[in-house]
Amino acid sequence: MTTEASSAADSFAELRARSEADWESWQRPIRPRIDIALDTSSISAGAGPVRDAIERESRARTAAVDLGRMVGVGLQWLNPVVAITWPDGTRVLYGPVKPEHAGALLDEATGRVGAAAAITIGTLAGSRPGVPRVFDHPFFSNEVGRRLLARIGYTDPESLEHYVATGGYSAVQRMLTRHQGPEAIRQAMLDAGLTGRGGAYFPAGTKWTFLATAANPERYLVCNADEGDPGAWVNRIILEGDPHLLVEGMIIAAAATGARHGFIYIRAEYPLAQARVKQAIEQATAAGFLGTGVFGSEMDITLEVIRGAGAYVCGEETGLISSVQDGRGMPRVKPPFPAAAGVFMKPTNVNNVETYSTAPLILRNGSEWYRQVGTERNSGTKIFSFSGDIERIGFTELPWGVPLPSVLEACGGMSGGMPLKAIQAGGPLAGYLPARLLSELTLERETFVPHGALVGSGGIVFIGTDTCSVDINATFADFLEDESCGRCTTCHGGNQRMTEIFRRIQLAGGRREDRHNLELVGNTLQYSNCVHGQASPTIMRNTLRFFSDEYEAHVHNGTCEALRCTGFSRYRVVDQTDPRLPRAQAICPTEAITEDAEGYRILDERCIRCGACEELAPRGIALEAAPAGTPVPRERAYGSPGGRQR
Amino acid sequence: MPLETEATAQIRALLDGLKPNDADLLEALHRVQHRYGYVSAEAMRVVGEQLGLATAHVYGATTYYADFRTTPPPQTLIAWCAGAACRLKRSDGILRALEAVLDIRLGEPDPQHRYEITRGQCNGTCELAPMAWVNERVVARITPARAITFARALAAGASTEEALTAFEHSLEGGNP
Ligand SMILES: Cc1cc2nc3c(=O)[nH]c(=O)nc-3n(C[C@H](O)[C@H](O)[C@H](O)COP(=O)(O)O)c2cc1C
Ligand code: SF4
Ligand code: SF4
Ligand code: FES
Repeated sequence: MTTEASSAADSFAELRARSEADWESWQRPIRPRIDIALDTSSISAGAGPVRDAIERESRARTAAVDLGRMVGVGLQWLNPVVAITWPDGTRVLYGPVKPEHAGALLDEATGRVGAAAAITIGTLAGSRPGVPRVFDHPFFSNEVGRRLLARIGYTDPESLEHYVATGGYSAVQRMLTRHQGPEAIRQAMLDAGLTGRGGAYFPAGTKWTFLATAANPERYLVCNADEGDPGAWVNRIILEGDPHLLVEGMIIAAAATGARHGFIYIRAEYPLAQARVKQAIEQATAAGFLGTGVFGSEMDITLEVIRGAGAYVCGEETGLISSVQDGRGMPRVKPPFPAAAGVFMKPTNVNNVETYSTAPLILRNGSEWYRQVGTERNSGTKIFSFSGDIERIGFTELPWGVPLPSVLEACGGMSGGMPLKAIQAGGPLAGYLPARLLSELTLERETFVPHGALVGSGGIVFIGTDTCSVDINATFADFLEDESCGRCTTCHGGNQRMTEIFRRIQLAGGRREDRHNLELVGNTLQYSNCVHGQASPTIMRNTLRFFSDEYEAHVHNGTCEALRCTGFSRYRVVDQTDPRLPRAQAICPTEAITEDAEGYRILDERCIRCGACEELAPRGIALEAAPAGTPVPRERAYGSPGGRQR
Repeated sequence: MPLETEATAQIRALLDGLKPNDADLLEALHRVQHRYGYVSAEAMRVVGEQLGLATAHVYGATTYYADFRTTPPPQTLIAWCAGAACRLKRSDGILRALEAVLDIRLGEPDPQHRYEITRGQCNGTCELAPMAWVNERVVARITPARAITFARALAAGASTEEALTAFEHSLEGGNP
C-alpha cells in the first residue's frame, strides 16, 4: 500500500468508527427523538408547519425530546409523517400529522404511549403491542425487501455518517483498495443483469464498456435526473432520501469507465433534490471520496449538479447533453452516440439515477445476490410510483415481474370503488392500455410490448371509468406538442395536428376522416429525429386499438360517456328546490346561470363547464349528456398553448 | 471597452466564477432570474460576454426553457399542474375557471401584469391532486369553486397572500 492509500484507509476507518457511534446514538438515542419527514411530498402536505408546531410545543414544555429529520417511506396518502425513536430503539411512524397533533406526539414521546394512537401507522423498528409493523401494511405487500430504499425512513438524508455507518462507500473503498479493475466492475454489472432504469433497458455494463473503450481519455459521466414523465417520481426518492447512494454509484461508474467528471442534471421541479445532492457532493469531497486521488488511489473524480429549467426533452440523453453544454436542450442526431461524442463532443455515458444507484448494491453484495429477485429476463428491483384514481398514492420498490392486479390491490384498489378503465404506465410516450388487459400485465416490459406499450421509467397511473380516452389523448398530445424541441417538423407539426384533431373532436367537431388522419400523423411522426417524436403516437394508437368504440362514439354518435368532453356535456338545473342554487349562481364565473319566473337556468353558450355550480349545489345541478348542437363557448373551452418560443 | 452601467456591473458580479465552455449557462441564467425575477436583454448580453457566447445564443437558450422569463414576473404566478393525476381529478375545469375570472389565457399575463397562469409539471405529489403552485407555494386539493374564490380575490386587487387566505378560508368553511 502506498502512503496515500494507507492514510486514506486510516481516515476511512476513522470516519467509519465515528459514523457507527453516531448511528448507534441515532438508533438508540439518550432521550426520545421526533423525526419529521422532510421530502417534497411531505413538505407539500404541510411538514413545515408540523415541524414548527412540535418545536414550539417542545420548547414551551421544555420537554426532554430532540428533533430530527427523515424522509417518507412511500405511504404518501398519509403525509405528512413523523417518526419517534425511543432510547430502547423502538421507532414508530405517525401520520397524517397536523400541527395540532404536536401535543399528543410529545406526550407519546415522553412516555404517555397511546396519546397519539389515532395517527399511529406502525413500527419501523422494535415492537409495540397492538401496533403493526409499517412494512406489513398491505401497500407494501409486493415488496421483497428494500435494497435501493433500504435507508429511506431510517436515516437522516443529510447525514454522511448515517450513510457510511450503514455500509455506505464500503463498495468503493473495497473496489479501490483491492484494485478491482474496471473490467471486473463492468463484468459485475453485466453478471447482475443491470439494465438502464430510464426506460430503455439498455445493459449498463455494455454502455460502460463503450465509454471505457472510447479513443479519447477525456470522458464524462452524466446522470439523468430529469424525471419528466408525469406520474413518475422514483428518482426523486433517491435524490432527496439517499443522495450518497447516487454519488457512490457514480464513483463506481467513473472507476469502471475512466471518466473523471460527472454532471448530475436535476430537473427544475426538484429544488430540494438539487440541494441535497449538492450537499452530498460537498460532504463526499470533504471526506476524500471525490476529488483527486480518491481513497488514496490514482483515481480522480469530481461531480457537479446542473439545475434544469423546465424542458421535458432534456430527459432525452442527447437533449440533456445539449442542455448541459450551454444551450437549447435540443436532442441531436445520432450517431454520433454519446459514447463517441457527448458533452463538449467528448465521450460520455448517460445513465438514470436509479441505474447508477444500483451499482453500489451490486458491488457490495455481488451479482448473484442481485439476481436473487426479479425474473429470468429482468433481474433485481426497481422503484415504482403509483397515482391516479387509486386509494393509496405512493411509491414502493418491487422486483420485476409483479402481476399488475396485485399492484392495484396493494394500492387499495380504485378510489370509491370506481371501476378501472385504463393503465397509463411510463409517461406520455409509453402507452395507454385497457382494464381488460390488467390480468395479462406484469411489471415487466415484455408483457406490455405485445400491446404496443412500455412499462417505462416507473410511474404507473391507474385511470378510472370517469375519465375519457379522447380527453386523455388531447391532454398528452398537448403536452408532447408543448415539449417538442421544434427541430423536426414531423414532431412539432405532427403533435400540433394531433392536439388540434383531438380538441376538435372534444368540441363535437369530429370527422369521419380523423381516424385516417391520426394514423397518418402517427406514421409521419415515426420519421422524427428522436424518441420524443417517434413515440408520440403511442397513446393515440393504443386508443384507436383498444378504445375504438369510445373514440367512434365521439365522432359518430356524438357522445362522451365519461362526460368529460365539453362538446358533449352540459350542466343543467335538475332540481329547482335546491336551496343552494343562489350560491351556485353567485359562484358562476361566466354569469351563465340566469333566473326567471320558471326558476334557474344555465346558458350553454356561456357555460365553460367548470363544475363550480355543481360543487356548491350538487342536488340542484347535474352534469349530463348534451343533445347534438348544444352550444359551447369555444374560445374558452381550453387554455391556449403555453407561450414557449420555439 | 465600453463603460459599464451599474446594472451591468451588478449582473457581472452575480456571474462571478462562471466561465466559457464549463457548462455554466444554465447556472448563469438561474442566478440572474433568482436575483431579478427574469432575464432581461441586458442580462443576456452580459451572460454572453461572461461565457463567450453570442447574445443570440443566450437568447435562444433562455427562451427554450419553461422556467426562464424574459419579462418581469407578475405579482401572482399560478403554475397550474398539467400532470395526469391532476387531470383525472378534473383540473381542466379549474383552469377554465381561473382563466375566466382573471380574463387571461394560459401563458399570457393580464395587461397590467398582475397575474399569469403557466403550466406546472407533476413533481410526484399527486396525492394532493388537483393542485397548483402559487408563487411557488403548494395549493392542494383545489376545487372549481375554491379556485374561483381565490381568483376573484386577486381580480378585486387582493395580494397573493390575501387571495390564498380566501382560498384557505373557503377550505375551512367547506364552501366559499
Ligand atoms: C423525450 C424523452 C424523455 C426522456 N426522459 C428521461 C428522463 O427523464 N430520465 C431518464 O433517465 N431517461 C429519460 N429518457 C431516456 C434517455 O434518453 C436515456 O435512455 C436514459 O437516460 C439512459 O439511461 P439508462 O440507460 O440508465 O436508463 C428520455 C427519453 C426521451 C426520448
Ligand atoms: S423528434 Fe421532436 S423532440 Fe426529438 S429532435 Fe425532433 S422535434 Fe425535437
Ligand atoms: S359549470 Fe361553471 S360556467 Fe357552467 S354554469 Fe356551472 S359555474 Fe357556470
Ligand atoms: S399530476 Fe399534478 S402533482 Fe402529479
